[in-house]
Amino acid sequence: MARTTKNPVLAREAAPAPPGKIHHGAKPDGLQVLLPLADAAPPSESTPLSTATRRLWFCVYLPNLSLEASGKGTAPLAVVEDQHGIHRVLLANEAAIAAGVMPGQSANAALALLPELELEERCTLKEQQVLESLAAWLEQFSSFVSIVSSDVLLLEIAGSLRLYGGLQSLRQQVSKGLERQGFAASLSIAPTPLAATWLARGGRRVCVREATNLVPILRKLPLYCLDWPVAATESLAGMGITKIGDCLRLPREGFARRFGAKRLIELDRAVGRLPDPRTSWRAPEHFCADYEMIEEQSDRELLLAICRELLVAHEQFLLVRQLGTQRLCFSFYHLKAAATKLSLGCMQADRSAKRWSELLSIRFERLGLPEPVIAVRLQGGHTQPLQAESGRLAFQGRAEGSERYSMTQLAERLVARIGNQSVNGVATVAEHRPQLAWRSRNLLAGKVSDALSFVKRGLKRPLWMLPEPAPLHAEEGYPLHLGRLRLLEGPERLETGWWDENGIARDYYTAINPRGMRLWIFKNRSTRSDWYLHGIFG
Amino acid sequence: MPRDSSSLEQLLENPHVWRGRAHAQTEAGLSSGYEKLDRHLPGGGWPQHSLTEILTEQYGIGELKLLMPALSRLSADDPVVPYTEPGWIAWVAPPFQPYPPALDAWGINLSRLLIVRPKDDSEILWSAEQALASGTCAAVLLWPETLNDQDSRRLQLAAEKGRSWAIAFRPATARHEPSAAALRIEMQADQAGTHIHVFKSRGGRPVRLHSIFSG
Repeated sequence: MARTTKNPVLAREAAPAPPGKIHHGAKPDGLQVLLPLADAAPPSESTPLSTATRRLWFCVYLPNLSLEASGKGTAPLAVVEDQHGIHRVLLANEAAIAAGVMPGQSANAALALLPELELEERCTLKEQQVLESLAAWLEQFSSFVSIVSSDVLLLEIAGSLRLYGGLQSLRQQVSKGLERQGFAASLSIAPTPLAATWLARGGRRVCVREATNLVPILRKLPLYCLDWPVAATESLAGMGITKIGDCLRLPREGFARRFGAKRLIELDRAVGRLPDPRTSWRAPEHFCADYEMIEEQSDRELLLAICRELLVAHEQFLLVRQLGTQRLCFSFYHLKAAATKLSLGCMQADRSAKRWSELLSIRFERLGLPEPVIAVRLQGGHTQPLQAESGRLAFQGRAEGSERYSMTQLAERLVARIGNQSVNGVATVAEHRPQLAWRSRNLLAGKVSDALSFVKRGLKRPLWMLPEPAPLHAEEGYPLHLGRLRLLEGPERLETGWWDENGIARDYYTAINPRGMRLWIFKNRSTRSDWYLHGIFG
Repeated sequence: MPRDSSSLEQLLENPHVWRGRAHAQTEAGLSSGYEKLDRHLPGGGWPQHSLTEILTEQYGIGELKLLMPALSRLSADDPVVPYTEPGWIAWVAPPFQPYPPALDAWGINLSRLLIVRPKDDSEILWSAEQALASGTCAAVLLWPETLNDQDSRRLQLAAEKGRSWAIAFRPATARHEPSAAALRIEMQADQAGTHIHVFKSRGGRPVRLHSIFSG
């Protein structure tokens, strides 16, 4: 009974359990059975907390979220909410508080105190968006992020501690990141989700690792941290009960009858006597982010900077999921015109903001914006698992130190500027008719199939080909091209193709003109008269 | 006297002292495959990582044939350093269609051929510069409409940066325009054969070579 002696308070709160009756929630009629069982169960070795799968919950409580979601300027600002027909101040920023604006004041009273105060209607939708973007950001720290309420996020971090170099380091990274993004947050860590939430709400920046230390700390928490209905807390306060510790000391059966079994279960979950399953939140797989401006902008440098900011967010989004994308779409919204769209594509799925912004700046240079821009939206395309390439060892590279990029990157840049049709590869085709013996290859398509490109070697073919054979004038039967042509070799007879429309019957010759140009010319067998120029031996 | 010779060595170690051909000889050229030409090029071949200009009056006099042996070597796998990828060969704004079966017959790796057809002259130069500086292309052939001194300097710098070989084809009239190219040659042809006039060669001497392709 080592545990009982260590923790006399707990022992007093809960009577010793009859042996063999500790299996929470296993019976079908959950609630009825839970109460007496929980009543009887002290935190023993069989509770989830002391087993190997111990969890640690990190709570991020954002008390000023509705203010931070509205704007981040330094001018006096207050967020108001309609309460029973009267607009009341919900939150005010530092400048407003310094002037005497208080939460709970009516909007008129606040304006009387500070005429230049800016009032902003609370927008829960925006708050939700901000909260979700924060949850998405937090996904880098844990695989389990949960949105608890409109201002509380929970992370399970027991599995992340090693990766982030321990609890303190992880906590610091989160807190710095939040600060950088302009959020004031109260962070606390506890072995149960509810305890972590309550501690954070109470503003206790504590870090409880051991379940045994949890209860003494929770006992001191005032009841307002619990987010219980006001009626319940007031009624408890009337009985002189203001702290969690007081609640825990009450007879369980009576407490459940008077305040509802739900409250008792909450208390049990907080101290770890009952399991507290949570649902994990997953960010959507498609990235979509907006940047709204206060006023219309036409400064292209500024717009480009905004796009870069969105790309960094996009990279972060994909990084967490280990994904890449091949397509992005920017929309520039105008007040009086339809949005201007700009799509970017690359051949290899990528997420790097640097690479995307390079492509963007090439395209953006030539983008015509009919009007000033009021908002920018970035939509990510279909994502796919990112295939990382192994880096090159320094001694294998042809160029050390200098900035190298791959062929696909080069092709993407060229395509971005001069268009998809103008950047090609080539391949040969096994075909005896010269104009059909090759095809152009889209570099997007990947590798050429070797089976098709087997071609008979040893034929004398010119390095330059004309897109269409050009008719040549003739003089006394001799073809002309910058002078009379002399036939050097030939004829090579190339015939048939009856299986499609492009049948030929030609005699090809190699010819040279007085200036030394070597040409590949042919004569149609059927018509007998005309000479055509088809290629040049470059 | 030993003292004097050591002070001379010291003097020669000073980076401000320029020692004629020493600089150009440090880098070996890429054999052109034509012995006659190699003998007269500094480094025994085409100067790499720089700009070469080929001036012709018309196409079809062997201007590509002159390059083919060297290009096919560039596009083949490197036997010395087996894991390096062979370089790409980019053709920027060629005047006609390069014919793949003929290139294949010369031993050019077609899967590493890039053909770019920009719309105007500034895009030709931009594309060539991008390809050169990327470090991916072993050689970049370009057919610019015009190429002034400043453009050639940019190409030269990009070739040095990406350790690539730029080959610009220009009309014979461009001969008197200044250029930053490391090598400038003019090609002429008649019924007897193709003749080459090397009129600028960094670290080498001007030379005239007759009937280059006939042995």
